Amino acid sequence: MSLKKREIAPASSPEATLTAHGLRKSYGDFRAVKGVDFEVYRGECFGFLGPNGAGKTTTMKMIYGAAVPTAGELVVAGLDVARHERAVKRRIGVVPQENNLDDDLKVKENLLVYGRYFDLPRKLVLQRTNELLDFVQLTEKAESKVEQLSGGMKRRLLIARALINDPDIVVLDEPTTGLDPQARHLVWDRLRELTRENKTLILTTHYMEEAARLCDRLVIMEGGDIIARGSPRAMIEEHVSPQVLEFRAGHEVLEALEALLDGRADAVEHTGEAVLAYTRDADSLMAEVREAGIEADNTVYRQAGLEDVFLRLTGRSLIE
Amino acid sequence: MSKTNRTSFRLPSPRGSFRVWQRNITIFRKYWKTIMFPNLFEPLLYLAALGLGLGAFIQEGGIDGRSYVQYIAPGLLASNAMFAASFESTFNTFVKLKIDRIYDAIITTPVNAEDVVAGEYLWAGTRAALYGTGFLAVLTILGIAFDEPLIVSFWALLIPPMLLVIGIMFSVMGTLFTSLIERIDLYAYYFTLVVTPLFLFSGIFFPVEDFPAPVPQVAWFTPLYHAVNVCRELATGPSPAVLVDVAWILIFTAALALLPIRFMRRRLIS
Repeated sequence: MSLKKREIAPASSPEATLTAHGLRKSYGDFRAVKGVDFEVYRGECFGFLGPNGAGKTTTMKMIYGAAVPTAGELVVAGLDVARHERAVKRRIGVVPQENNLDDDLKVKENLLVYGRYFDLPRKLVLQRTNELLDFVQLTEKAESKVEQLSGGMKRRLLIARALINDPDIVVLDEPTTGLDPQARHLVWDRLRELTRENKTLILTTHYMEEAARLCDRLVIMEGGDIIARGSPRAMIEEHVSPQVLEFRAGHEVLEALEALLDGRADAVEHTGEAVLAYTRDADSLMAEVREAGIEADNTVYRQAGLEDVFLRLTGRSLIE
Repeated sequence: MSKTNRTSFRLPSPRGSFRVWQRNITIFRKYWKTIMFPNLFEPLLYLAALGLGLGAFIQEGGIDGRSYVQYIAPGLLASNAMFAASFESTFNTFVKLKIDRIYDAIITTPVNAEDVVAGEYLWAGTRAALYGTGFLAVLTILGIAFDEPLIVSFWALLIPPMLLVIGIMFSVMGTLFTSLIERIDLYAYYFTLVVTPLFLFSGIFFPVEDFPAPVPQVAWFTPLYHAVNVCRELATGPSPAVLVDVAWILIFTAALALLPIRFMRRRLIS
């Protein structure tokens, strides 16, 4: 496998490797994905950010053939998924949300057997297996049983398995959900390495930090619709002011704060346990709060993030 | 566009089916010694308990001029294949489908859902043939050792390939049931209402032809009856009538094979 950098210079106008037009999926009366449009460019990391039930996984499933679109057009690697099921699957790698490694096979055998599903020559599969175990730092576990691996190791093995066919596009459905922070950082590190090798990554997440760290561009999904799109920075600039004051206090204090901040801050959100004030000048806003004599000791100042974009657009936070 | 994709039927590809079969044989090769033992041992229990135990009470002359042990031995070859293929296509397939989610992983590769099902048919048939060949060897040796030949015709060399076909037939039936159920407990129905009655009333232990109507007529419409006929005929030297049984098995299998493929595809692809 070419784990070395591929010599494809980024073109002046990026080339789309995946295009969705009016893509829709219904299950009976339930409309899981309500007609979305998006384009993924070659070599970028493209994210789907949104809460559970937003339609992210359904969209991923339509890309890798586990769900058939109800309507719309989906072209992956130049091929219409409706007509070229097998050919599309040959060009992509899939890291599913739930572990579905083959427990009857050892770590290394999981990759060897998976490689056979792609009709790859035995020698090539063996060579890639060794390279990929090295890449995901599981070489020492090659002969272990899958059930002996930790959650993070299983996820890394799933990533290695998704790369066995040297895919153009790697689809990752919540690649770090349920992992502890160290394991999560290790996965992020490997994914960044893949983007350096010019692989196209498409991932879903409900962690805004993950989206902000990894994604060149992303869409935010909510209730089957795309409600915002762009690079993380552009989305934050477009939808929220750059600075945030997070006030945490008793109910009455928060009410008073909300009344005071209304009109003074660019935007105010009341999330139940906190009042968030979006502003370009946190210092003077804070001064005004102190002047008004409101007790606001438990206040955090931070930069605005994607979570704030989501909150602005939906009035809800990403992770309930 | 997608409507046609969803409902239009797709035939399995030989290559994809082979890959699924290959996955199973890879695992089987690691564990076959431990897996195969009970399957070889069980029919011997029937042979001992019924053939020798019950057989002692059966009048001299036995059935159709054969001793009771000689009568039931070839039929047990057929039921052994039925049990091997039925366990494979029920519990084992269910675990791969719903618990380990092995098929979900496979269908994201160029191997399609229909290939998965066809590969499993082939594997269940292979397993039935492997077990049956082992059992056939044991029967032949026992017959010689105890001077009561159980397998007396060279036509018996055709039994293993026939067990492959018989195994595929029962795999299709088991997979059909698997494709329709949500909970593993429901297999109790399949085994109690389908497999066990077939085992008891397909002419392994007594000739069903001697029963009053409609028992023989009903038996004719059930799959194990023909499988038992084929095995018994091949073990003792066949008459041309065996071709009817073979044809019955092939037609029944072909007629039913596409239905589970369709249902399983619907379960794997939403």
